Amino acid sequence: MTQYLVRRLGQGLVVLFLVSLLTFFLINLAPGGPSSLVDISTTVAERNARYALYGLDRPVHERYVAWLGGAVTGDLGTSINQGLPVSRLLMQRLGATVVLALTALVLAAGFGVLLGIVAAMNPNRWPDHVVSTVATLGMSVPNFWLGIIAIIVFAVELRWLPASGIVSIGRGADLIDRLRHLVLPASVLAFGLMPNVVRVTRSAVLETKATDYVRTARSKGLPDGKVMRKHMLRNALVPITAMIGLITTVLFSGSVVIESVFGYAGIGRLAIEAANGRDYPVILGVTMLAGTVVVVVNLVVDMLYAVIDPRIRHG
Amino acid sequence: MAEVLVRTASAPLPRRSRFLGRVLRQPLGLVAFTVLVLLVLLVVFGPAFLSHSPTRTNPLQTLQPPSAEHWLGTDELGRDVFARIVHGGRVSLSVGLFSMLVGLFIGVAVGGSAGYFGGRTENVLMRVVDTFMAIPTFFLILVIVTSFGNHPVTIVFTVGLGFWAQMARSVHAEFKRFKTAEFVEASRALGSHHLRLMVRHILPQVMPQAIVLATLGVGWSILTEAGLSYLGLGIQPPLASWGNMLQNAQAYLFRAPVLAVWPGLFIAITVLAFNVLGNALRDVLDPRG
Repeated sequence: MTQYLVRRLGQGLVVLFLVSLLTFFLINLAPGGPSSLVDISTTVAERNARYALYGLDRPVHERYVAWLGGAVTGDLGTSINQGLPVSRLLMQRLGATVVLALTALVLAAGFGVLLGIVAAMNPNRWPDHVVSTVATLGMSVPNFWLGIIAIIVFAVELRWLPASGIVSIGRGADLIDRLRHLVLPASVLAFGLMPNVVRVTRSAVLETKATDYVRTARSKGLPDGKVMRKHMLRNALVPITAMIGLITTVLFSGSVVIESVFGYAGIGRLAIEAANGRDYPVILGVTMLAGTVVVVVNLVVDMLYAVIDPRIRHG
Repeated sequence: MAEVLVRTASAPLPRRSRFLGRVLRQPLGLVAFTVLVLLVLLVVFGPAFLSHSPTRTNPLQTLQPPSAEHWLGTDELGRDVFARIVHGGRVSLSVGLFSMLVGLFIGVAVGGSAGYFGGRTENVLMRVVDTFMAIPTFFLILVIVTSFGNHPVTIVFTVGLGFWAQMARSVHAEFKRFKTAEFVEASRALGSHHLRLMVRHILPQVMPQAIVLATLGVGWSILTEAGLSYLGLGIQPPLASWGNMLQNAQAYLFRAPVLAVWPGLFIAITVLAFNVLGNALRDVLDPRG
């Protein structure tokens, strides 16, 4: 187990290293890269001063090594537009995104598993059709458009919920207020993620339904609810967990757009601000953070397999 | 079981027409296919019949409701919304299709080589795939768009790059499965070189599955382009795309909420049609799914 953990950790680090290599060189070698930030019409001395300020006076591989050295110790450089350390900007925004993402994940997993079970218990009958229609809609309707429609309906017309932000101005510590701001973005985000969970749950439950041990449990006279909980769900849990690991990536991409729709000041919003303002150190930092989270989540999911299903032994 | 009986009972037809034919025999598959054909006809031939320009502004007729003159009304600059939908559809559909082709091509090339050659090639290539899978797609796209600009061709390649890794992974597994198949071994024994084995013998076996992924990929690409353009990082005005129309519309949510409805509706219908078609294709290939 320990050996497996170490190996997986190593693989994760290699992937992260490659992510950093890819993003750093993509950004720095592109024609519109950081060097284009320096105004060509200025004098040579001014230009050189700027290059030196951004560290552009050194060759790109040296800059990469310096950046990587800093990144390992948590120093991701300084934002060009805001003049603050990138790591500080990330930490300021991380909390909001984690709250939004976790809420969406819980909603998506909860409703997804529930609907998946309903569909699998009634294959090819109307509940199954309804669920698959909802799931296909969730996959097809643009998430940000759903967000806009939700704002029109619930904020503009009905005035039930706030249209944007994390808190109302002047109500910093009000929990109810925070939750009211969370409802729309989290539900919209969850609606887009749910179809994946539904699909996997449905096929996993359908598969266990046909197994001998479920038939045995049934013929012993075990009530349906117990068969579902103890025999079917338990076995379906591995593919469902795997899917939840997978959708973390989707979740991150989705939150970039959704945070912009709802003016929610998280990591995604930071990424868009940085992209529009060509703030390269921030883009690099945000991408590395996202990559790290994905790698860590996948590692945790891998570990969870062994907990959920004792037959899986990582050797 | 019924599926098996039907399949063995049906008359032997040429492979390709049977595949598409079985998809079109499913009611949902047929509807999705029809919707897509209509959409393509609309964006290809529509502009020839439009009496309004998608970019001509008219300060006297801003934010008009739908009328006989302007079928879907006008936007905040007095431009005809229907004309913009049709022209925007051209852009959105082309970006979706070409991005899919980019993703399909790279995915099949990388995944196929990894699966076929195995060993070190496989190790290196699949680590690259892992890397692309580990960066949330939208961040990768942001990185590329900020560094390389937002020319429509760049957008096509960028969105395609967000999608190839998944394709590579699935193609990789299939190539691995087929490389030791008897018909491949036979051809190898006859002296076929690697490229011929891969393209002529294994690829056709893998293609149906790749087509399913590609169909779903078009929908995904359209959604991604729309999101990117909505954020102001994709297709730039005055060129209309369904995504950047929504960006404009959000500023007028209180005065003209209906402006936000049309482009999104067209995106949703188009992507829905591609997804339903993709699912129908999958059902035909794998009735258990």
